[in-house]
Amino acid sequence: MSDDLDILAGEYALGLLEGEARDAAERRLAADPDFADRVARWSGRFSPMLEAIEPAPPPPALWPRIEAAIAESSQASASFETSAGGNVHQLRRRIAMWRGYSVAATALAASLALFLAIRPDTAPAPVSPPAAAPLVAMMSAEGSAARLVATFDPDRRSLVIIPASGLDHVPGRGHQLWLIPADGKPRSMGMVEPGAPRRMAVPPAMLDEMEAEVTLALSVEPAGGSPTGLPTGPVVATGKLHRT
Amino acid sequence: MDQPAGARIVSEDGRRLAVTLGAVARGDASAMADLYTRTSAKLFGICLHILGSEAEAEETLQETYVLVWRKAAAFDAGKASAIAWLAVLARNKSIDRLRRRGPAAADLDAADRIPDGRPSALDLIEQEQEGRRLAACLEGLEERAGRSIRSAFLEGAAYPELAEREGVPLGTMKSWIRRGLLRLRECLER
Repeated sequence: MSDDLDILAGEYALGLLEGEARDAAERRLAADPDFADRVARWSGRFSPMLEAIEPAPPPPALWPRIEAAIAESSQASASFETSAGGNVHQLRRRIAMWRGYSVAATALAASLALFLAIRPDTAPAPVSPPAAAPLVAMMSAEGSAARLVATFDPDRRSLVIIPASGLDHVPGRGHQLWLIPADGKPRSMGMVEPGAPRRMAVPPAMLDEMEAEVTLALSVEPAGGSPTGLPTGPVVATGKLHRT
Repeated sequence: MDQPAGARIVSEDGRRLAVTLGAVARGDASAMADLYTRTSAKLFGICLHILGSEAEAEETLQETYVLVWRKAAAFDAGKASAIAWLAVLARNKSIDRLRRRGPAAADLDAADRIPDGRPSALDLIEQEQEGRRLAACLEGLEERAGRSIRSAFLEGAAYPELAEREGVPLGTMKSWIRRGLLRLRECLER
């Protein structure tokens, strides 16, 4: 009777079956597409119960571990499929693509996950239709401990800065962010606080300058920013904006 | 506008997520990173809620995304919403781990995580449309059946524990649940 089968599927989807009954259902799941369908339908019916659960951002350090586990998993399946006569070239390309991407993906995922969580202070409302893809800059410098990730969010016309590490709080001094476009003239984006991610609105006049290959630079300045309107102190981190 | 019985409303976000999951199924690494960015808070919330431990939730989240990478091709956009599919994977992994901890630990944690006075899960799921439908149908069941189905799904309580909680024989709980499932199905397909 299909009702009995449906009940079994529902019990399985709820996790109510144990021991031999559970093992039998699992074997059936693998062998019987109709049963698998019924189980999937029950999961779909129950899934709204998960809506109520409060989301919680995982720690940024988790993503690189997941990437590594996935790359390992790809390798393991690659060797299996190779020995079974699979398409070796395609699989190798897939792993290489994964590895090549992982550095950028780490920064991007970390910075995007954070900017989704940051409340905008002065970001303007999104203009429709949304324009270009986000741009990301990984900022650092020789001899400096400072590390930042800057993401330009074209939809909200703002720059999100994640100071990942190495910005010391020195009394009387601050870190000022500069945008240096093709003409080489630094334009101030504002001050960056150590440890605190910030969303900085990009003034309309500078929006046109926010494109790939433009340089961002962070310099040490007096606490309120450079009095001259140009960098006066040492540059502790720079990076170029790249398309994602 | 009335939706025909069984039709799902898919938001633009849902559609885009399904497309991303499709790209993951084709081995697209950047799609995987994108998927993680967009769904990890929701899935981590589920793991944390069920397991109550940051460390275990992190490991379980990792296992979940590895499974997503390997099984993304099994996702059928015509049959489920992407976020529901992902959420159920996270829930299943979390319940599995909860059970490996041992029954005593699971009981204590469940009691701690659902203190009196807080809004029940049923109150909260009414906020979402599909959640509202499910909540209404669960309400329509005999109270102990509805409560037990919810506990089984959200806490991984199995038949012996459910029977003990309600103070009834195992056989009684089994018939409540089985009748409840049929009525729930009938209500949701209306």
